[in-house]
Amino acid sequence: MLKLGNVEFKSRLILGTGKFSDTETMIKAIEASGTELVTVALRRFNREKPSDDLCAPLAKLKNVRLMPNTSGAMNAKEAVRAAQLGRELSGSPFVKVEIHPNPHHLMPDAIETYLAAKELAADGFIVLPYIPADPVLAKKLEDVGCAAVMPLGAAIGSGGGLSTADMIRLIIRDSNIPVIVDAGLRAPSEAARAMEMGCDAVLVNSAIAAAKDPVAMARAFALGVETGYAARLAGLMPKSDIAVATSPLTSFLK
Amino acid sequence: MFLTVNGEKYEHGGDGAVSALLAELGATPEHTAVTVNGDLVFSKQWKDFKLNDGDTVEVLTFVGGG
Repeated sequence: MLKLGNVEFKSRLILGTGKFSDTETMIKAIEASGTELVTVALRRFNREKPSDDLCAPLAKLKNVRLMPNTSGAMNAKEAVRAAQLGRELSGSPFVKVEIHPNPHHLMPDAIETYLAAKELAADGFIVLPYIPADPVLAKKLEDVGCAAVMPLGAAIGSGGGLSTADMIRLIIRDSNIPVIVDAGLRAPSEAARAMEMGCDAVLVNSAIAAAKDPVAMARAFALGVETGYAARLAGLMPKSDIAVATSPLTSFLK
Repeated sequence: MFLTVNGEKYEHGGDGAVSALLAELGATPEHTAVTVNGDLVFSKQWKDFKLNDGDTVEVLTFVGGG
């Protein structure tokens, strides 16, 4: 079981709810993925388009918890306020801290993220910070009480894959809290690889929402995560620089 | 009463309670979070919390996000 704070999850796939063409597709993708935790964002209420409100459709899903994010926050202070609003609205203690002030690359601001995560963890939130794949930062976030760390695989929405694999391995090696790859994944095989490496979960949004068939891709990611995790538990064979024969090389044909 | 609601000038015709403003806007209370002049106002306070002329109000809800 994946344990985040005091909550246990059977599924190791977390879904983002952005970029879906319509709410119905999003709901079906969530169901197909088997996820039990989805991220949502806070925005101003739109009088012209009240249908944008995701609260009602998401509330109908059983066994799916909400994790409000702090997107739009430019610094720790704004992120803390967004988190408090998210908690008020969702009733959920989960928060994805994300602070990425530069819209070009959306790289997380490590310093502001650390400050916000520390304050929110002390305030009783279950904090999952979106971070650069930095083992030093990850350890410091563990020390201040984060429930998990979420290093990026590649830039948000880029589909760049697991470009930070080496750094993520270092994070996993030292971490006593779950490590969740968040952002950048494009293919279920990348999710499988992340899980084989020792990640505890993956968070996927664009790869599913922007797929030709989001519902089918949600299912494919669920299988990828499940396969990779099963392989990790099974234990991969050791690597060898030379061939190691699988058939006996006896000389009876001579 | 003139307010700034979600960044725009807004004339509120009700009694100035946060709950009255939300009803006027057509927002579903249980799907809404509110700040007044930057401070979070909890939903249990909405009936009693009175807005003042010139207040800046943010009315927020959840949308899709990663």
